[in-house]
Amino acid sequence: MSLPCGIRNYTYARDMTILRTRTHWALFTGLLALLLTAPLYLGNYWLGVGNLIGITLIAALGLNILVGYCGQLSIGHAGFIAVGAYTSAILTNRFELPFLIGLISAGITAGIIGIIFGLPSVRVKGFYLAITTIAAQFIIIWVINHWGLTGGFEGINVPYASIGGLVFDNDAKQFYLIMVIAALGVFFAKNLARTKIGRAFIAIRDNDLAAEVMGVNLLYYKLLAFFIGCFFAGIAGALLAHWTGTLSAEQFSFTESILYVGMIIIGGLGTTLGPILGVVFIRILQQLLTVEVVPWLEGTFTMFPAGFASGVAPMFFGLVIVLFLILEPRGLAHRWALLKAAYRLWPFSY
Amino acid sequence: MKNKRLLIITTIICLALLVAALPVFSACGPKEKTLKVGIMTPTTGVAAEKGVPLRDANLDCIEYINNELGGVNGYKIKALNLDSQYKADQAVANIKKFMDDGYLFFTTSSSTEMGYVQAIANRAGFPGLVAYSSPSNYHPPEHIYGQMPDYGDDWSAFAEYYVKNIWQGTGKPKMALHLLNNPTGAGAKNAAKALADKLGIEIVDIEEHAATTQSETESLVRIKAKNPDVLYISSTPKPTAQIIKNAVELGMFPGITIGVCHAAMTKALVDLAGADIAEGVYGVFPTVSWGEDVPAMAKMTEYCQKLHPKDYGNMDYVAAWAQSLVIAEILKKALDNVGYDKLAKGDAKAWEAIEKYGFQKLDSYNVGGLQSPVSYTAGDNRLGKSLRIFQVKSGKITAITSWQEAPLIKYEEFDWYGK
Repeated sequence: MSLPCGIRNYTYARDMTILRTRTHWALFTGLLALLLTAPLYLGNYWLGVGNLIGITLIAALGLNILVGYCGQLSIGHAGFIAVGAYTSAILTNRFELPFLIGLISAGITAGIIGIIFGLPSVRVKGFYLAITTIAAQFIIIWVINHWGLTGGFEGINVPYASIGGLVFDNDAKQFYLIMVIAALGVFFAKNLARTKIGRAFIAIRDNDLAAEVMGVNLLYYKLLAFFIGCFFAGIAGALLAHWTGTLSAEQFSFTESILYVGMIIIGGLGTTLGPILGVVFIRILQQLLTVEVVPWLEGTFTMFPAGFASGVAPMFFGLVIVLFLILEPRGLAHRWALLKAAYRLWPFSY
Repeated sequence: MKNKRLLIITTIICLALLVAALPVFSACGPKEKTLKVGIMTPTTGVAAEKGVPLRDANLDCIEYINNELGGVNGYKIKALNLDSQYKADQAVANIKKFMDDGYLFFTTSSSTEMGYVQAIANRAGFPGLVAYSSPSNYHPPEHIYGQMPDYGDDWSAFAEYYVKNIWQGTGKPKMALHLLNNPTGAGAKNAAKALADKLGIEIVDIEEHAATTQSETESLVRIKAKNPDVLYISSTPKPTAQIIKNAVELGMFPGITIGVCHAAMTKALVDLAGADIAEGVYGVFPTVSWGEDVPAMAKMTEYCQKLHPKDYGNMDYVAAWAQSLVIAEILKKALDNVGYDKLAKGDAKAWEAIEKYGFQKLDSYNVGGLQSPVSYTAGDNRLGKSLRIFQVKSGKITAITSWQEAPLIKYEEFDWYGK
C-alpha cells in the first residue's frame, strides 16, 4: 500500500498497521460516527437497506476469501447461506436455544457443509469446481424443501435475535447488531490476508502447482478456504433469518449465488475493500432502480407499453455489470486505488 | 498542499450540510390530503406474466376511483406500486418503505410475496391484503387478510366437484398432485392432507416443480405409473402449461381429468399451452369471467381496453380490479368510522384503526359483482369465501358452476400443520 509522500514507517509494527496516517484515522472515525448515528436520521426503509447491505457484505467477504484469495470458484454461495439461515432458525424456533448459539452453530454447520462440498476441489478446479458448487446449491435447497424440520415449502418463522435480555426487535437495533458483526468480519478478512494462511491462499490462487512444490498443503488450505468462506455465509444466513423473520427456500435461489459472484467481481476480487464497494454499489443500485426510477418512469413516460418501465430496471442492471466487466475488470477497488494515487500526485501526472 | 486541505475541508462541510438537510427536503412542498396504500406486484422475475396484468388492473381501478368517483369520501387514493421481483429481499425492502412512508396498509398479489413479508407485517401490526393467498398466510389469523379463497380452498372445491360430478367409477378416485415448490403448492397439499379421506379421494402421488421448470416429463412418468384418475396442478400459468403439454405428449391427457388452481386458471394458461392442448382442463377461480353481466364489468372493460388492451380477457386483471374496489371499501369504512385525521399519520395507531374499523367492518360488500361478497368473520381472515369451477372450452375459460362457499379449514388444529 503506497503512502503519501513524506510519510515513513520506522518500526515493523507501524508498517503493519491498517490505519497509518492521521487522515486514515480521521476518515475512519468519521465513518464510525456516520454508522453509529445512522438510526437517528435514516428511516426504517434505509435502515433496512443498510441491514441488507451488512448481511450481504458478510457473505460476500466469505466468498471473496474463497474465490478472490484462494481462487476456488464457487457459484453455490446462496446454498451455504441457506444452511446457516435454517440452522439458526431451527435451533431458535424448534429447540428454543439462544440466538448466539444459533449464530455460531449456523457458521460452523455451513462451514462443515462447505468442507464436504469443497472436497472435489482437491481434484478439480476452475469450471469443473464451479459445477460441483452449483450441485451443492441445488442439493441443499432440495433437502430444505423436503425436510419437515425446515417447514418444507411453507417455510419457517424465526424469532427476533436476542442477547441476554436485549431483544433486537426493530431495524435500529438490528442495524447495530449487523454492523458490529460486519465490522468484525471485515477486520478478520483484512487480517487473514496478511497472515500465513492468507499468503498460502494467494499462492494457491496464483499457481497451485508451484504452491504445492513450495510446501503449501493444498488439501488443508483449500478445505480451510471453503470452511472460512462458508462460515461467513452461515453467519450471514443466520442474521438474514432473524432480520426477515421468515424463511423459505425460494430466498436462496441460484440467481442469488450468481449475484454474489457478480458483486465481488464488480467490487474487486482479492481485496478487502472490493466486497464492500461491490455490495454497496449493487444493493443501492437495485433499490434506486426498483423504488425510485421505475415508478418515476411509469408516471412520466405513459406513452410506452405496459411493463416497459419494469423491464428497464433489470436491463439497466445487466448493462451496468457488463460495462464494468469490460471497462474495469479489476473492479471498483482498483478504480479507487487509481483515484487515490492520482489525488496524491496531483497536479503531477506521475 | 494548501488547496488540497481546503478542498478536503470544503467537501466535508458540504457532505455534513447535505446529511443535515435530508429531513428538510422530504418535508418540502404542499401536502395533498390522500389515503396512501402500498401495492406490491411481481412485474419482473419468474411471475411477471401474472404480475403485470395485476399491477395494471390495480392502478387502472384506482385511477377510475380517483377520477370518476372523486376518490373515497372526497379523498384521493395515493397508491405506490413497487415491484417485488418475486424475491424476498426486495419484498422486505418494499414493505419497510410502505411502513416508513406512512402507508395505511399494503397489498400483495401472491401468497409467496406475502409469505416473505408477513412476519414483519404481523410483528408491526401493519395490515395486509393478499389477492391469491395460501393458508399459511393467515393460519393462525393475525394482520393478514385474504381477498379471495386460498389455494387450499381451491383444492377442496375442485375435489368435491370432481367426486360429485365427474367421477363415475367405483371405490375411491385416485388423485395425483403436481405442486409448485412454494406456498401455492403447499396450500393444496395441506388441504389434501386435511380433507382427502373425508371426501373419499386417494392421493396416489405428490410431485413438485419449480416455477422455472422447462419439462416435467420425468415426474409425469412417475405419476402415470400410479394410474391416477385425476391430476391436480397447483401452480402458476407457465409451469402449469408445461405440465399439461408434457401430459399430452405422454398420452395422459385427454384421458385423465386435469384440474388447476386459480393461480393458473387465466388467459395466460390458454395462451401458453395452446387452446387445443388446454381444451377440457378444469380449474377454479374466485372471480367472474370477462363479459359476464355484473355491475362493475362495463367500467372495467372500458378502462382495460383504453389503457391496457393486451390484458383484456386475463382473469388476473379481474382479480386485481376487484382488489382495488375492496381497498376503496376498506378505506371508506375506516373513514366513516374514525375520520381522516386518525388515518392521516399512517403510523401504528392508523394501522390499528384501518384494521379494526376498515378490514373488520367489511360486511357483504358486493365488489361490483366481480367476486363473491367480502365480509369479515372473527377467526377467519378470508374476506371472500366463494369460488366457481371453470373449464376451458374452445379456448375460453367458461364457468360451469354457480358460487360455492369454501368452508373454513382450521389447519392449526392439525398436529402436522407447520411441522
